[in-house]
Amino acid sequence: MKIFEFEYKCETSIIHKLDPRAKLVYVILFTVLTIYFTNPLILLLIFLSSVPMAILGKIVRKWLISIKSSLFFIIFIFLFNFIGIFWTTGKIIDTIIISIAMTIRFISLISIFSIFFLSTSPEDLMQSMIKLKIPYEYVLTFNMAIRFVPTLAREAQTIIDAQRSRGLEFEKGNIFQKVKKYIPILIPLIISSLRRAEVIADAMESRAFGASKTRSFLYTLTMSKKDFIFISICIITFTIFLFLRMFSYIQ
Amino acid sequence: MGIVEIRNLTFKYANSDKPSLYDINLSINKGEFFLITGPTGCGKTTLCKCLNGLIPNSYHGDFSGEVIVDGLSTKEHPVYELAQHVGLVFQDPENELFCTSVEKEIAFGPENLGLPRDEIRKRVEEAMAMVGISHLRERSPYELSGGEQQKVAIAAILAMKPKILVLDEPTSNLDSLSAYSILNLLLNLKKEYEMTIILVEHRLEIVAKMVDRCAIMNEGRIIAIGDPREVLYSDIVESIGIGIPKIVKLAKRLKLSSRPLSSSELANILKVKK
Ligand SMILES: Nc1ncnc2c1ncn2[C@@H]1O[C@H](COP(=O)(O)OP(=O)(O)OP(=O)(O)O)[C@@H](O)[C@H]1O
Ligand SMILES: [Mg+2]
Repeated sequence: MKIFEFEYKCETSIIHKLDPRAKLVYVILFTVLTIYFTNPLILLLIFLSSVPMAILGKIVRKWLISIKSSLFFIIFIFLFNFIGIFWTTGKIIDTIIISIAMTIRFISLISIFSIFFLSTSPEDLMQSMIKLKIPYEYVLTFNMAIRFVPTLAREAQTIIDAQRSRGLEFEKGNIFQKVKKYIPILIPLIISSLRRAEVIADAMESRAFGASKTRSFLYTLTMSKKDFIFISICIITFTIFLFLRMFSYIQ
Repeated sequence: MGIVEIRNLTFKYANSDKPSLYDINLSINKGEFFLITGPTGCGKTTLCKCLNGLIPNSYHGDFSGEVIVDGLSTKEHPVYELAQHVGLVFQDPENELFCTSVEKEIAFGPENLGLPRDEIRKRVEEAMAMVGISHLRERSPYELSGGEQQKVAIAAILAMKPKILVLDEPTSNLDSLSAYSILNLLLNLKKEYEMTIILVEHRLEIVAKMVDRCAIMNEGRIIAIGDPREVLYSDIVESIGIGIPKIVKLAKRLKLSSRPLSSSELANILKVKK
């Protein structure tokens, strides 16, 4: 049984090497675009513009997985819009067009955000949080939470296997019985996490955590030429899309 | 006076009903390679935590006596200050490593000290060279083998520039080849950099002939201390049932007059006899 597939792998694509703040500019601009437009063709174009990002970032497979895993919501949004709009307007063509537009809008948003998170290491995210003046303790907590997810998942797996070999059957029973069966997993998991937290705290203290009020960093984020080029491309694309709208009015 | 001085140390954890350490007295000299061993639960880890000040600074309990490392009393100095004099390497590297690359992992300590970037860079390079992991600098610590992870953990401590290195069962999760590599590394740190090394270890077969002195603990007390040849061949050690090296058992059975600690030593003795 696999619980998580959530382990950031150190990749070295162009997109990975961009400064997270530059990528944040991308996320903001394109989120604005997807919310601003209602024309399904333009929304489709916006979605298509995120495809090269996934390809350049060498994250196509994971990117597809995150879109696929939101299939349920995609269908839900389509049906919800369809029924809602048809109910109020009664025009079948309009209804279909708007529902499709809404669906594409949602897929685009997922695409944009998953590109950001799939191509940004927790470490980089941490560094940009520091640059945004978030206190180091919070940033470190965030980092640890991400870092120990796979460890915790492995531990949960061990406990599940152990309980199963003692005869606990997870598949049987109705939903309440099933939930109840997870208690013998949760309790050992919580206890072992608390123990682990103690060990980690000791290890951090032994490496002088909290020694100096002004912590220094071996690496800090600096915007380089490629980041500015990337931001420029984003702004140019953004403006082209806006012009597209004016153009469609003129027509 | 030794670089480590422990006087009448007794410690009881707050939530425990009997002390985990009883009246420990110990003096360790500068540049010494010191081995501590003993059955499980005898207080080895507790003693290690006393050496770098986690006890009494971060653990509640009844602490009496005194621990002085590199001239500093652990009662009077915070752990982060002591960390620059005594480094503590833990048993399971998995819990010690939390950065995304080996380099950043090693930099964590110096960064906490707020050192300038050039100094951090220098320390990271030195520490990686000392344990021989410069080629791993950009790797993620979690994708390394257990032995490599332990080396990263050691380098991360060395970057704090401690004079004393304390290691709590650093090889217990490793296969014997990686264990051998780690223990040899420690011997090298002692010889080449004149570090004082205090090692808790069960692999006596490998380590007994490397160390200068050893202490055996049982139920919170030090029950034997001295030259490993004296200590491991003493009757008291046999009675508490720690893993005595097979060589020692064999030599005792053979009633040899000399006291070999490794198979090659034993082989030499037997050859001479023939
Ligand atoms: N945090 C704690 N709180 C209460 N009691 C503890 C704590 N840690 C250890 N002890 C107790 O102190 C005693 C010594 O434990 P310690 O971990 O020092 O032994 P050890 O020699 O390192 O054993 P091992 O070989 O298993 O690592 C044990 O009886 C243990 O139950
Ligand atoms: Mg221990």
